[in-house]
Amino acid sequence: MTPQELVEAFSAKAQAVNAVVQEVPTMAAALQYVVDVCANKAPAEILADEPGTEKGPLGPNKQPTRVQKIVAAPQLAEEDFALLAKSCEEKGFLCLREGVRKYLSGIDVGVGLAELGVAASGTCLCNTDNEDVRLSGMISEISILLLKKSTIYPDLPSIADKLRDRMGHGEPTYTTFITGPSRTADIERVAAVGVHGPLELHIILLED
Amino acid sequence: MHDALVSKSGYHKEIDQALDDDFLRRTLDTFAVSYRANREAVFKDVDEKGLIKKIADAKDYACQHMEELYSKFKAEAEKRGVHVHRAKDAAEANRNIADIAKQNNVKRIVKSKSMTAEEIHLNTALEKEGLIVDETDLGEWIIQLRHEGPSHMVMPAIHLSRYQVADDFTKVTGEKQDTDIQRLVKVARVQLRRKFIAADMGISGCNFAIAENGAVTTVTNEGNARMVTTLPRVHVVLAGLDKLITKLEEVLDAVQVLPRNATAQRLTSYFTLMCGAGQCQAEGNDNGRKIMHVVFLDNGRTEIAKDPLFKQIFRCVRCGACANVCPVFRLVGGHKMGYVYIGSIGLILTYFFHGHDRARILCQNCIGCESCANVCSGGIELPRLTREIRARLNAEEGSPIEGTLMSAVMKNRKMFHNLMKFASFSTKPFTGGTQFIRHLPMAVLGKHGYKALPALASKPFRDKWSQIAPHVQNPKFRVALFAGCAQDFIYPEQLEAAVKVLAAKGVAVDFPMEQTCCGLPLEMMGQRKTSIDVANQNMAAFRGGNYDYIVTLCASCASHLKFGYSEILDGTASMLEAQSFGAKIIDFSSFVHDVLGLKPEDFNKSAQKVTYHASCHLCRKLNVHEAPRELIADAAEYVPCEEEEVCCGFGGTYSAKFPEISAQILNKKLDHVKETGASRLVVDCPGCVMQLRGGAEKRGMQVKVDHIAQLLAENLK
Repeated sequence: MTPQELVEAFSAKAQAVNAVVQEVPTMAAALQYVVDVCANKAPAEILADEPGTEKGPLGPNKQPTRVQKIVAAPQLAEEDFALLAKSCEEKGFLCLREGVRKYLSGIDVGVGLAELGVAASGTCLCNTDNEDVRLSGMISEISILLLKKSTIYPDLPSIADKLRDRMGHGEPTYTTFITGPSRTADIERVAAVGVHGPLELHIILLED
Repeated sequence: MHDALVSKSGYHKEIDQALDDDFLRRTLDTFAVSYRANREAVFKDVDEKGLIKKIADAKDYACQHMEELYSKFKAEAEKRGVHVHRAKDAAEANRNIADIAKQNNVKRIVKSKSMTAEEIHLNTALEKEGLIVDETDLGEWIIQLRHEGPSHMVMPAIHLSRYQVADDFTKVTGEKQDTDIQRLVKVARVQLRRKFIAADMGISGCNFAIAENGAVTTVTNEGNARMVTTLPRVHVVLAGLDKLITKLEEVLDAVQVLPRNATAQRLTSYFTLMCGAGQCQAEGNDNGRKIMHVVFLDNGRTEIAKDPLFKQIFRCVRCGACANVCPVFRLVGGHKMGYVYIGSIGLILTYFFHGHDRARILCQNCIGCESCANVCSGGIELPRLTREIRARLNAEEGSPIEGTLMSAVMKNRKMFHNLMKFASFSTKPFTGGTQFIRHLPMAVLGKHGYKALPALASKPFRDKWSQIAPHVQNPKFRVALFAGCAQDFIYPEQLEAAVKVLAAKGVAVDFPMEQTCCGLPLEMMGQRKTSIDVANQNMAAFRGGNYDYIVTLCASCASHLKFGYSEILDGTASMLEAQSFGAKIIDFSSFVHDVLGLKPEDFNKSAQKVTYHASCHLCRKLNVHEAPRELIADAAEYVPCEEEEVCCGFGGTYSAKFPEISAQILNKKLDHVKETGASRLVVDCPGCVMQLRGGAEKRGMQVKVDHIAQLLAENLK
């Protein structure tokens, strides 16, 4: 497959499992997308006790909502994070680079970097060794993954060597393959998204 | 724990209850149909059979090198800060895990789905130690609230309705809950988030334990396994020794099949590989590292690994596909089609893990349709193994009276055939001159009254043979007919039709008189010794005939003669003969279509609308699909039928053992036949004719049920 075909195949398969796929030209545009998504969403529900946090009106699940929205982006390079933090500040969002564990009752947006994509199933492979990275992809209502178009591979066998290399050095690793948002069909086999993890998954495709 | 398997009569009673459960019936029915179509669609983009073979090979290798892989895994995992344990049985595994909890001052535990934990009843053991255990997979949490076991390996609460779930959630939250499913899912999101946060320890299962790097993997859709393995400070993995696998590539092959087979997904939402005790900033973990333990469970696995036949059960990846395609599961659900483990593999695993008493009852409930073997992720010969368990239980503990009687009669061909002739004579008063036994009171039939029973022929085929044997000059082929009991004694006209077609197309036909029952009914009853006796008698009957082919009109006989003999004679002096005998066996449709090459111009195509039922053993064991359909279209107007390749409910002795289930499967089949508007239904198996014709007669349907040979003979030019 040509690079363009890989991108098309990846997008089609990711969309088929309810992921939102967005192509953007630059990192700056990607960060703006993150801020826009956060601005346009309803404030996250606070699903458990979180002493000291200001609570807004009840959300759709009858839980209080955040007065200050939270974006977590532990994986971004320093200058990218600074740019995102600045835009978030302008909007009044809290922007986290670490300490996500303090907000386990739920945050608005988690931003992560996908190491590579798998076209056959619309899957992102994420290095989630870092706990903050892992948490921000789990407890956010919207998870946004940034994926470089040049790192999309055809199928799982074609990434075996890269994966082995990640796991083969004696240091602990935690690797997550993500294919669409959290979902279930456990009640009457009716599909529902957003059980324990994100309600939405957005994948931003970046040019190199 | 739900246990329908306390007694045979108790089991049948619970089956009746399940059959009366309209919600369950509707849910499983819809699922069976949509699953089949969705599965087919997602398998289109991979090489299904190739991947299944790779999984089977990788798991077979792992099974034969279990100790080596265990040592390698242990070394690699320990290198990465993980503690590795090995428990010889359920009690020891439960003890290990409770000890880990105590040593780490754990009070609250969250669990993600693990069938191995169900196997050893881990929750009960931990709760006895005063620990609070919460399941976090939505379905598992629901059944935990109801104190039930799972009814499917990947959809544990598929037997429950939204109304039942809403009631349970109302109880647990103390607030009235809406029955909207989207809302109910969010109730779980809120309630379980609190449990994730409060937990000190997470317990997960494991799909694969990779020896080369000490990684464990999970696949989930909800994301609960990620929460369970990330939030609490302690993580315990429980894995059967059969989860060990050599290398990463093998896992990547397997996860291309597992979700496709389980839920018709290309990949689950999350597939995680945890390789070592990674970062964990939870309070109480001073060094910022997760406290991670892997407990490997033996529980008989090292013994099973030595069993030349049953070692293949370790190819199971717990996808649940064997239940998804099972016509019996579709009717009665997982609580009746399994104990802890569900589906065909559940029948087998119950024998090994949960007692022979339960297994003896449960392993009868396989109709032998081969649907499961056809889709299994590891290519396990599931129905064969179930029959083997019946044989082993009979050998170990004695056989029930029906089987012993059958054996006594079948051992002696002459006695068997004389009895059949006597039965024909003695039932004559009940037939009223028709093809059916009409005048038996319903009280005698009981649950068996759902179909009209066939009358025995007044003269069996073997007694007619000397008169009808054709003389063919310069034959193209020399074949022998294998009749099988049903056609010899009930439906000789089917064989006569076949002889007419064969002789007309220049085939010399012989009928060796010493042939007897193929032996499959004996196998179904676990009568291995007699089934070997009749196999040897049959091979002797055809020995020295120098036939090009041995043609049979019965798909079940064909599959048993072709493959079954080599299986049951494996390791004996007759093995080689069984293989060469098997190589000559061919079903009637394939012979006339593929070998003789009959074409449209060989027939006077009639305008009759004819539909088809694909016999289980023909389409799944012999892999014959096109030949019969093309032949029908050559001879008449072929009208396809819904679910054409789904079992008719006969299953030989199965329909006698479980008439209540057989009747329901038959009903569905006849509904589909009716929808086609066809006036005739043809099949490749006299057993299916008996079931379908009897059912159609009982319902008063205007459809003629015949063997395909009869349709072809009638319309032959």
